[in-house]
Amino acid sequence: MRAAALGPKTFGLLLLAVFMALFPFLHEWPFFNTFLGEFRTFNATMFAVWLLILLGMNLLTGYSGQISLGHAALVLVSAYMTAVLSQQYGFPLWGAIGLSAAATAVVGWVVIGIPAVRLRGPYLAIATFGLMLAFPQILKLKALTQWTQGALGIRGSAVEPPGFLGSVLDSRDWMYYVAVAAAVVMTVLFLNLTRSRLGRAFIALRDSEVGAEQMGVDVPKHKAMAFGISSLYAGIGGGLFFAVQGFVSPDSLGLIDSIFFLVAIVIGGLGSVAGSIIAALFLTFQSEAVSELSKVVPGVNDLRNVLFGAALIGAIVLFPRGIAGYMQRPRLRIPKGWSLNELRTLWQRRWTFRLR
Amino acid sequence: MDLFLQQLIGGIASGSLYGILALGIVLIYRSTGTLNFAQGQMAMFSTFVAWSALSTAMGFWPAFFLTLLSAMAMGALVEWLIVRRVEGTSQLNSLIVALGLFLVFDGLALYIWGPLPKGFGPFSVFSGGASCVGGVCIGRLNLGILAVSVVITALLYLLFQRTRFGLAMRATAQNRLASRLVGIPVGRMLSTGWGLGTAVGAIAGILAAQSLGLDIRTMFFVLLFALSAAVLGGLDSPAGAVAGGLVIGVVKNMAGTYTPSGVGSIDLAVAFGIIVLVLMVRPTGIFGRPARRRV
Repeated sequence: MRAAALGPKTFGLLLLAVFMALFPFLHEWPFFNTFLGEFRTFNATMFAVWLLILLGMNLLTGYSGQISLGHAALVLVSAYMTAVLSQQYGFPLWGAIGLSAAATAVVGWVVIGIPAVRLRGPYLAIATFGLMLAFPQILKLKALTQWTQGALGIRGSAVEPPGFLGSVLDSRDWMYYVAVAAAVVMTVLFLNLTRSRLGRAFIALRDSEVGAEQMGVDVPKHKAMAFGISSLYAGIGGGLFFAVQGFVSPDSLGLIDSIFFLVAIVIGGLGSVAGSIIAALFLTFQSEAVSELSKVVPGVNDLRNVLFGAALIGAIVLFPRGIAGYMQRPRLRIPKGWSLNELRTLWQRRWTFRLR
Repeated sequence: MDLFLQQLIGGIASGSLYGILALGIVLIYRSTGTLNFAQGQMAMFSTFVAWSALSTAMGFWPAFFLTLLSAMAMGALVEWLIVRRVEGTSQLNSLIVALGLFLVFDGLALYIWGPLPKGFGPFSVFSGGASCVGGVCIGRLNLGILAVSVVITALLYLLFQRTRFGLAMRATAQNRLASRLVGIPVGRMLSTGWGLGTAVGAIAGILAAQSLGLDIRTMFFVLLFALSAAVLGGLDSPAGAVAGGLVIGVVKNMAGTYTPSGVGSIDLAVAFGIIVLVLMVRPTGIFGRPARRRV
């Protein structure tokens, strides 16, 4: 091993790893305790959960160019399965999460993905919109109440850390490590996936379906697969969602949440992992930020949806690649002997490298 | 048998409501290629406008036409100011913009009129007792909804098939470049398409609020039924939208009546089931044309 291996990038990643490993304890330390409350551990855990969910949604929308309004429903599917398996059938939580994530992937692939791939256009959006509105009603069906408890929802027991860890960590810290570990592993897998043959195929069919077909991409298969993999991420996120929140009900997540997921990834940056991370930060802190803002500007609470809607439209029109895309935009190089027309073209090219 | 007929008629009445909203969606989809997910929330917003107009002691019909005009202006403005920015980029961008509009109208209504449900109607010709033939009755409101939907469908048919203006709209929907070449003001046609679609949505909203009550979330579910109607009839077929609406209304009512009480309500699940079924069996809907694809 050479000493030069510790470049600035590796060093940064190491520093980040140390920071994440120590995060649950930071709020007890001097200096850090001036701005970190104990509650931030929970925030960080939810951040990891949102990140998993939004990575899946970004794979579908940002990489393969399909839109889903039912992502929150898929999260609910998995959260409920985890709840039923772990609370009523005595599965260990990890087994329950794994099983539900796999089942959610199958549901996404078979029930939504395969029917919707036969057409382009807005059909997937319609089908997932239907799923989103219908699913809470299905959960409330009287025939299913022996498992789902109807509108009351299912409460989970606190998850205690195993073995000797119990003396060091409380259940909140333990959930933090589990969620963050899952998020890190799945993010690395995601990075690899998007750079693999499969990921390139997704991007190709986003940019031009007919073009992708000509290049030998099996379009229906890949569209359904994008939905399946995206559902897998939603499934893992959903299982953790139940474990972290300790509660799930048919109204835990709804249509508005699905749309907020979309707002988050569009503002964060479509087709980018950094964008998903920004999106997860947005989702974690949006309600806190809005309520802080409403202390200064009264009435903002009621206007939240207007703000987010306007941000969504503004982002798509002005910054089609979101914050992440803005930060990675090509640099504006002014050539020698420039003309006004040339400058204008450069400027436009800089802004409009949008998703097509 | 009486119960069956009763439910059939009720289903046709509520189905024509879904049909009208679906008609608005199809109008916009045909003329601009955008599936307007905000249709329900824009209709809800217009209905709140009507509510405000009515609460100033205005008569029902003046308020009705005022709302139609404002809805038309609102739709055209939204197209001109917002939707046109992403036109011709991609399906994905226009869908995202529609969802942004969904949030904006949802939030604006909450901010202006608050979260509490409002009492709304029935007004003027829509109020009154039921008319009965034999053992089968139809309420005055349902009769009115049915009549309005017939009138709107007829008017739109005349507009599109019998006027020069309608011809220009159809031409724009089919081939924008060629329309521009023969001198049709394409931009104005697109705005008009949105205006018309929004006004038709406003009518659906005003009718729906009289039977379902008026609050911000009413139209979520009406929108789902309207969308399944549009998918069933074919997203590019106005006649299909109305027919699809009727089928959805009847199926929903029958499902509600004949589902054993031990199961619980399943109307939304039925609508979702229909969407998935149609997409699997006949993705272009009953009346839709197969889509052509270009690079």
